[in-house]
Amino acid sequence: MTQTEMTIVANHRPEVLERILRVVRHRGFTVTRMKMLLENEKVWLDLTVIGERDVCRLVNQVAKLFDVVDVTCESCE
Amino acid sequence: MNGARLVTECLKAQGVTTVFGYPGGAIMPVYDALYDSGIEHFLCRNEQGAAIEAIGYARARGNDTVGVCIATSGPGATNLITGLGDALMDSIPVVAITGQVGSGLIGTDAFQEADVLGLSLACTKHSFIVQNIDELPDVFAKAFQIAKSGRPGPVLIDIPKDVQFAETRLQPVVREKLNPAPANAQNLQSAVELLKVSKRPIVYVGGGVGMAHAVPTLRRFLEISRIPSVSTLKGLGAVLPSDPYYMGMIGMHGTKAANYATQEADLLIVLGARFDDRVTGKLESFATNAKVIHADIDAAEIGKLRQADIALQGDLNQTLEALTLALDIQPWREDVLRLKRDFDFTYQENQGEGEINPNWLLHTLSRRKAENAVIVTDVGQHQMWAAQHMRHFAPENFITSAGFGTMGFGLPAAIGAQKARPADDVILVTGDGSIMMNIQELGAVKSGRVPVKILLLDNQRLGMVRQWQSLFFHGRHSATVLDDNPDFVTLASAFGIAGERIEKAGDVSAALDRLLNAEGAYFLHVCIHEDENVWPLVPPGACNTDMIEEMS
Repeated sequence: MTQTEMTIVANHRPEVLERILRVVRHRGFTVTRMKMLLENEKVWLDLTVIGERDVCRLVNQVAKLFDVVDVTCESCE
Repeated sequence: MNGARLVTECLKAQGVTTVFGYPGGAIMPVYDALYDSGIEHFLCRNEQGAAIEAIGYARARGNDTVGVCIATSGPGATNLITGLGDALMDSIPVVAITGQVGSGLIGTDAFQEADVLGLSLACTKHSFIVQNIDELPDVFAKAFQIAKSGRPGPVLIDIPKDVQFAETRLQPVVREKLNPAPANAQNLQSAVELLKVSKRPIVYVGGGVGMAHAVPTLRRFLEISRIPSVSTLKGLGAVLPSDPYYMGMIGMHGTKAANYATQEADLLIVLGARFDDRVTGKLESFATNAKVIHADIDAAEIGKLRQADIALQGDLNQTLEALTLALDIQPWREDVLRLKRDFDFTYQENQGEGEINPNWLLHTLSRRKAENAVIVTDVGQHQMWAAQHMRHFAPENFITSAGFGTMGFGLPAAIGAQKARPADDVILVTGDGSIMMNIQELGAVKSGRVPVKILLLDNQRLGMVRQWQSLFFHGRHSATVLDDNPDFVTLASAFGIAGERIEKAGDVSAALDRLLNAEGAYFLHVCIHEDENVWPLVPPGACNTDMIEEMS
């Protein structure tokens, strides 16, 4: 199990948090810590996840969500 | 006008002429607007039918056509979900419109209320709930843009009833499809260099080639480079069967030539494909000596299952043009020709009183049908036989549920295809398990006077599952015997559809003629032996060279 931190910026829509968390779960990761802020119609989400799979694959899946503006992950720079 | 009228105006602004759907309480304002909108509404008999009809329509027409389906709230919307899942897995542009209970009732467990936005998250590319009338034009514009841009897919728009009734002076908005960016130039150059030094390259063609409108570019690339090629189920039709170095389908039910050659490759040029488990067999054993050039519009597919040596994310046409060069690989071409010669399918002709051989039947049908006929299949053994034993000339002429494997796909997809291409024959190849899953759509065939040709291969079994039970579960045929099937010809006739039943090999030829020459819909019920199998077969978890061809 590897633990990774990532920051996600997304457009605010009623379901955007669910949308992101669903992808995280479905692609094989568990959220261990989360901080979310809604500001200026943008959602700022700091996530710590653990999983056995390559976290960069998860970053690619989250990044292609329509309302996601940016994903940064130190493991995938 | 009200929001419902704005919905139909938005559809017209997108060029939509036909929609598939089923009315209900929460979508009634939209149906009232449809009544005199000039848009043709095709009435399905279950909302799953509407979603899959929209898929068949989009796939048969191609050219970024977006299929549109409409359903009411709650059970109407949940019935769409299987179709949306199918469209997501096969990257088909669909827009689904669902009515929702009034905004004030959302979350109160109102009659026919479901959290459709929540339900949509796992089965759509994107989804919207229209929170007020002012959002509606741009939501529609975005929905169509998202459905057909990048890797296409289904988009859902959930519209509360009060938004449908709300008055507005807004007009429709259209957003153009976003064109793909070119692939990285340095990576393209590296790919060219890799190609030049390869001695045993294989082109692995996926469904993304057709979706990218790259079939002509692919064919030119293959004509110049003369690289041997294989195809996934959804890629069938992209490479012409006359290409001497094309080996057909790869994978679990692929040809022996395709599977053997791919394992010997030193380079895979992967085009709009995603290393699906049905293609690779045991992933760790798949083409282990090959480097990989992976071209795809979806960055998330590159490296998902197999690390790419060179990633080409972007415009596939431009990528193929850059890779088009003549190669000095004649010994490899000769190896491939030998594999094709040694392992080509052979057929037992259908003659006399014996059992009907489905492989030969489909092989014959393939040669007799009109050149531009659309073949649609359901899911199961008949699907694999159609993939293996029919010749495919265009991706839009072979419509099958590839990624999702949706039993019940065939009949509604064939209806949608026929609506999209009224001048072309549409032939459904189905099985007795599959057709019963959406048999109610025969009502839509009748009411819509859809002249679809239905070829049912009936072994009174869930044949593919039965085959796996025979192979891998000690012949314990649990819940796969369908010997209580209805009399299909009588069933078809109840919907005003002509048909016949055949049981003997010698009856095949004339029956196929009657099927193909029928003016309207026709139902040909073909009885085959319960123990017919699909060969070759790569057992689950095995290497693709470990194909089996008979029961042990």
